[in-house]
Amino acid sequence: MASALPSGDMGAAEANSGNGGQMQKKPFTFNEIVLRNRLTALVVDGDNFCRLLEQGILQAYGLETQSVNNGDAAVELIASGAKFDLILIDMLLPILDGVEATRRIRAMGMRCKMLGVTACSGERERQAFLAAGVDVFVEKPLGPEILIPVLRELDGQV
Amino acid sequence: MDVVNQLQRQFLDYSASLHREGFLDDQFTQLQKLQDENSPDFVVEVASLFFEDCEKLINNMARALEQQQGVDFKQVDASVHQLKGSSSSIGAMRVKNVCIAFRSFCEAQNREGCLRCLQQVTQEYSLLKNKLQTLFRLEQQILAAGGSVPTIE
Repeated sequence: MASALPSGDMGAAEANSGNGGQMQKKPFTFNEIVLRNRLTALVVDGDNFCRLLEQGILQAYGLETQSVNNGDAAVELIASGAKFDLILIDMLLPILDGVEATRRIRAMGMRCKMLGVTACSGERERQAFLAAGVDVFVEKPLGPEILIPVLRELDGQV
Repeated sequence: MDVVNQLQRQFLDYSASLHREGFLDDQFTQLQKLQDENSPDFVVEVASLFFEDCEKLINNMARALEQQQGVDFKQVDASVHQLKGSSSSIGAMRVKNVCIAFRSFCEAQNREGCLRCLQQVTQEYSLLKNKLQTLFRLEQQILAAGGSVPTIE
């Protein structure tokens, strides 16, 4: 990984309430938050570019990140005891898809904030992903209006 | 107007044209805001990775569409879906829009339509690559002249 692109269960993180996980759009920019705490995140995306970009964005805020490129590896990582404050997970993944991976991660008792970040855009996909356990369904791109409120909440700034 | 001001003006005008013509959307601007003294080459590296990803996916689509004995449209669609995701993530709006149309042709199992879209997506990727290289060259010229790259709002 090139150097310019920057290379952890925190407890119950509340799902966005009452609206099926959709965030309100606000005029945030990526650089308007400074975190007080060291947060950890797992990025699960089968596309090399998206995985590295999402990691890069999170690392720019000072999050410690890991990434895997398939759902099975994500489940294994959690099963091995790894804990994260935040998980970004794509829907279409090799080996084990994001919906089933999410279901299994939640079944293991992992209550961290999970964002389903996907190029899928249908209502059916959204409902399926939310039902599996993601807190927010995000149609790519992952923008600051979604990420900033999540990071503020995880950092205890809300 | 001195050299730095001129170059900065060119950079802003060129950047504005890329947005106006739909090559880039706000996501790209947001990624530029992540670039700072700790990661001064963030955007260039992101763009470089995107183009690598793009080329790989376009090659996959072309190979799948070449199959004379029967095109696996699911395979084509999988690559298009991935490219839709990555182009959205960098703010490559025109590439993303072609992907949306492309997916419809995959769903309809329309090989001719898919081939047209493949041609379009290849063209849009080449255009974007050239334009971003020009933009990055302008940035380098500004820095070499002792100036700072203006922030896009």
